Amino acid sequence: MVALEILIYGAVLSGIYALLAVGFALIFGVARVINLTHGAFYMLGAYITYALSVLLNVPLILSIIGGMAIVFLLAICLDRFIIERIRTTMINVLITTLALSLFADQVILQIFGPDNRNIPAVISDRVTLLGVDIAGQRLLSLIISVAVIATLWLIITRTRMGNALLATAQDPEAAQLMGINTGRMFMITMGIAAMMAALAGGIVGSFLTVAPEMGMLPIIKAFSIVILGGLGSIGGSIIAALLIGYLETIVAYLISFNATELVPLVVIFITLIFRPAGIFGKRRGF
Amino acid sequence: MNIVTRIWGTLISRPPFYVMAIFLLFMLLVPFLTDDLYLIGVLVLANVYAIFASSWDILSGYSGKENFGHTLFIGAGAYGAAYLNLYLGVPPMLNLLLCGLIGAVFGVLIGIPCLPLVGPYLALATMAAASIAERLTMILSKYTGGEEGLYGLDPITDGPVGDYYLSLILVIITTIILMAIGYSKQGLILRSIKEDETASEAAGINTTRYKLVAFAISAFFAGMGGAFYAHYQMYTGPSSLSIIMAVTIIIVCMIGGMGTIVGPVLAAYMLTVSNEFLRSIGDLRLLVYTGLLVVIVLFLPRGVFTVILERLPRFGQKSRGV
Repeated sequence: MVALEILIYGAVLSGIYALLAVGFALIFGVARVINLTHGAFYMLGAYITYALSVLLNVPLILSIIGGMAIVFLLAICLDRFIIERIRTTMINVLITTLALSLFADQVILQIFGPDNRNIPAVISDRVTLLGVDIAGQRLLSLIISVAVIATLWLIITRTRMGNALLATAQDPEAAQLMGINTGRMFMITMGIAAMMAALAGGIVGSFLTVAPEMGMLPIIKAFSIVILGGLGSIGGSIIAALLIGYLETIVAYLISFNATELVPLVVIFITLIFRPAGIFGKRRGF
Repeated sequence: MNIVTRIWGTLISRPPFYVMAIFLLFMLLVPFLTDDLYLIGVLVLANVYAIFASSWDILSGYSGKENFGHTLFIGAGAYGAAYLNLYLGVPPMLNLLLCGLIGAVFGVLIGIPCLPLVGPYLALATMAAASIAERLTMILSKYTGGEEGLYGLDPITDGPVGDYYLSLILVIITTIILMAIGYSKQGLILRSIKEDETASEAAGINTTRYKLVAFAISAFFAGMGGAFYAHYQMYTGPSSLSIIMAVTIIIVCMIGGMGTIVGPVLAAYMLTVSNEFLRSIGDLRLLVYTGLLVVIVLFLPRGVFTVILERLPRFGQKSRGV
């Protein structure tokens, strides 16, 4: 019974992590930027969905889409006006994006206060799956994660724009010589990834707490997952997301809820020391 | 006589030296200029941040190995002070030294595995190390007091002015030592590591040794600062290990100018004091710091004080360039 619960709850958690980490990996893969505002996009997605649906009574699905749209625009502005100018200095990118995510936390804190919020669920019924009782929304978040990542995969591998993205990821200069507007590719990647984070924020809002600092831990996890999976590798990120998601679930069920945050951190620290390229990475990104 | 003239000559010929000297002499006079204990308290906090920032700078600003978990060393010093003082009755003054050493031990322990890591890998590893420590204080709450932290440490001096002077003396000692290191061979080699580590190795430098020493020095002063802070507040808690604190320290250094020691120290005062003036509006510390950081990164990427110091004149030098 516990095994089945771990199987299902672990999948849900992994799905959310994958949704965040794949976007994060995509930005690194294409633009070589470690974008730590990714967690803030996740948080903003949740708050905008909350503001639209609860405060302004917009239908929930529209609110989530609204959150994604606003975050998409924010991400494009961020890329255009800030990241574009500091792309070459890694430390500046790291600390600026981290600072900006703290900035966003503070803005939200000033507007909404420190209290936890709740977003209503799209599906409020509970479902029984393989004998495990689970909130419908959790299951929905898993389905959406899988669907979004699959769509992204199709876009990247099957479309012209996807090819352009891959070319940019491989060699931005050569891609530019082939007539690809790499600046626009960076921007699009940023926008798509941010939208995925906002979507994650909008759907988890009914079963996870919505608070200004909610993006901080997930971004450290997404960062870890992406490094664990090999920087820039989307496939590796998905596997690493499953690894961390299940690891946390197993620890929560079998050891102690308190240790859930600790175990993945230790795993990451050890991986970094013995295999900095990640479990599946062939070479270091730097 | 010769040594005096030499020191004087070095002092006035280098803007960072005389700016620092004038500034610290002025800070010594502050208690004579004001009776405002609140302001003195704010300046004690600024002193503490100056120690944290300059100790971060000697490792990360100089060698380019950005440590995102400096709070681990601070926390080691703060919790170390709490245990030594509460359980073994070690006097606060001795604790400053002992906890500096505890910090240095942590610096070496973290430094050794992290040495080969660069860029984001190092950032994540150090951040993870500090987060592990923070989580451990929660999990082992029986011994660490958990979220509440540990209370009842002995006060380090008998009043706010004493605290102020002690912390200022620590800042003076820290800056003198760190600037001496920064201008020594050690500092030069750290800079060369930042520019091109492979080339430094090719030149026959054992970069590992220098980086490890930098980790230990950086962690020593962070641990000492942490111990002072714990005794000053008579309390230590998990906030001394938080990532937000680590990021704040990096922001202070970046605004001031990394790799200069003077820049981070002056920025620590500038930001801490300006933050207190803004307190009437609300607790906007992070909003101001982060907003300012973005502006600095975009328009003055080498930091405010680096740019100012370069424009200041060098006295007493006729022909030699530095």
